[in-house]
Amino acid sequence: MTYSSIKEILTSLRKPKLFLLVIMPISILIGRFIPSLSEPLNDLGLTLIQLISFPAIPLVLSAVVLSISEIFDSEKNNFRFSRTLGITILIFIFGFSFLAIILSLYSKPGFLSPDGKLSIGRFMLDVTDININVFSKNVVENINETNFFKSLIPSNILSDAASGQTLKVITGSILGGLGLAALPKENSKPMIIFLRSLNQLSVKVLDELLLISPLILICLIAGAMSSVSTEIIVALLNLAICILLATVASLGVSKLVLRKFTSSKEREKFITNPADSVFLLALATGSSMACYPTIINSLKTIGRSQNKIEASASLSLLIARVGNIVYNVIVIIFALNLYEVNLNPFVLIQVLTFGVFTGISAAGLNGIAVLPSIGVALTFFGVPLPPILLLLIAVDPILTLARSAITSVTSLAITTVSTKGA
Amino acid sequence: MKNIIKTISIAALALLVFFPYTKANAVEIDYINKIKERGSLIVGMPPKNNPPYYFKDSPPSVEDSDAMKGNDVDLMRKFAENLGVDVIFDQSSASFNDTVRRAGKGDFDVAIGKLSVNYPRMSNAHPHVYMNFRQALLINRSFLSNFANETPDNLGKVLLDSNIKVGFISNSSYETSAYELMKNAVKKGYSSWEECKKALIKGDVDALYRDTTEIKKIMYQQPNLSIKYVPILFDDVKDLISIYLSTEANIAMADMLNYYLSQEEEIKTDTQVLDEFSDFYKPLISK
Repeated sequence: MTYSSIKEILTSLRKPKLFLLVIMPISILIGRFIPSLSEPLNDLGLTLIQLISFPAIPLVLSAVVLSISEIFDSEKNNFRFSRTLGITILIFIFGFSFLAIILSLYSKPGFLSPDGKLSIGRFMLDVTDININVFSKNVVENINETNFFKSLIPSNILSDAASGQTLKVITGSILGGLGLAALPKENSKPMIIFLRSLNQLSVKVLDELLLISPLILICLIAGAMSSVSTEIIVALLNLAICILLATVASLGVSKLVLRKFTSSKEREKFITNPADSVFLLALATGSSMACYPTIINSLKTIGRSQNKIEASASLSLLIARVGNIVYNVIVIIFALNLYEVNLNPFVLIQVLTFGVFTGISAAGLNGIAVLPSIGVALTFFGVPLPPILLLLIAVDPILTLARSAITSVTSLAITTVSTKGA
Repeated sequence: MKNIIKTISIAALALLVFFPYTKANAVEIDYINKIKERGSLIVGMPPKNNPPYYFKDSPPSVEDSDAMKGNDVDLMRKFAENLGVDVIFDQSSASFNDTVRRAGKGDFDVAIGKLSVNYPRMSNAHPHVYMNFRQALLINRSFLSNFANETPDNLGKVLLDSNIKVGFISNSSYETSAYELMKNAVKKGYSSWEECKKALIKGDVDALYRDTTEIKKIMYQQPNLSIKYVPILFDDVKDLISIYLSTEANIAMADMLNYYLSQEEEIKTDTQVLDEFSDFYKPLISK
């Protein structure tokens, strides 16, 4: 068996049919009937995700610097593209936030049955108790308090990249890209060549590593099946359904956008529907950044401008993060329903605003690290954060996949719209 | 004459035989002797049914010592057994504080019934500690979210200094503690713990104040309440649960009681009680 034949088999496992007929049944059977394997499988899954995440930082750095320098290049008239990209991102952010509100009003996450309340209550019992000392004289500095604005400012882009501080790398790269765009062509060219090579190398490494995504999916689903509390999933069913509906809606919108903003000639060049590939890849890895090469390659295949594809894809994947925004809007409404806060139109506008800002502020964060960002909104509405976090963490192994899938397919859609005619 | 001599001889023999025996069974401590002569230890208890500490199937107003059950009941039965007497449980007091006051007055030999220690009570009767619980609040999570930015080290002080609306049982030690600890709080006393719970659910108060076992009991019996309410356990504010004696009884029985407690019982913590009596801390509803 040659490397190319193995590659072919692994690539074919990413197809929806094989996902449903092979990967899902195998994962569920392993998770349900060999629960002792849950921990090692989960660890293996997380290790493999770490492996595919390793080219992410150089990819982010090179993609953002190149995108920004391209957009703000004074010699090229990219104003139209920048404006289209900006408007498209805004339309998608607010459009999907509005969709999340509509879906939440429809499926009413947080309105629980007595059985659901009992399951959640049992789950929280003892765990959320607060132990305090009234007369303790110890003054402990709160070192965990994070300053969002401080976390945006890069200190040294290389050390930020080395320590994996994605948010700082993004802002540093934007500043670097602006500087590069301002340089005379002959001075910026060597750096652009270097960054282009770094970008291509990162994409290639990521593309090869993604071959193991079916294995990651089996490990993670099997691990989740035996470790995630089924009772809590059932109790939070309306939340899970709402997020799932948003995921399916985002796939539908993405397919519609692909159809609307590509010509029939362009679509003939697609081997498979890129929306399906991106969607499954995000579900398999829980990482939207892992979809970057697929988005780039799909749109390159139909002849779109590589620079503009990279600019759109990187900015929408890294900064817009529609998945986080949709998730945060739904989760805030879930919390408000759970604590019986009246959802009048004014409150819904506040939810939308908080959902957008907290979603964007979680840029550069993955997995459960995204969850505390909703704390600002919940404090504003006078709703307690700890029990909401506890519940979300319990179901996060499953919902994080949906979050990544929304971010990825909407990024594909944004890229398709903004690069049309480019 | 013969009959008189015979009668005197029998009487003398009887005196010789029985007098030393009676003398050997008498006790020198008058108070204990009084209990032995009475044949029963009178134990004062609050007018409540409070499982797993003291309870019976009938209301507290119904006198039925044999029907009494629970940790405190067993503790006193065993103590009375060591004295060689029966036990009578008297629940005719008006409140917790009244139970202690009447013990001090000498209406009972001892008073028990999850009675806390505080300065006013110690002015009435003498406490002997047999359980050591943490004080606790059951607080509305939405109210607590007002303190989301407080550090864990500061939360306790800020909370107690706030204008929190706190509910407790009237004439209980927690009423006294609330006035000592929570100067700015809006303090609301209720006639029973059931009334306190109703006030919390209705939103009349932000929190309930009592010991950890009672606070946790609410959550264990109705886990669905965990969504809206959360226990705050004060690790360094203790509730010393004691047996109370009058001065006369204390002079007579303190050593004996302390010896009994040290030999028979260890000082139980709230965690031990929750563990040992876990059957009482289960959901009230099956589903």
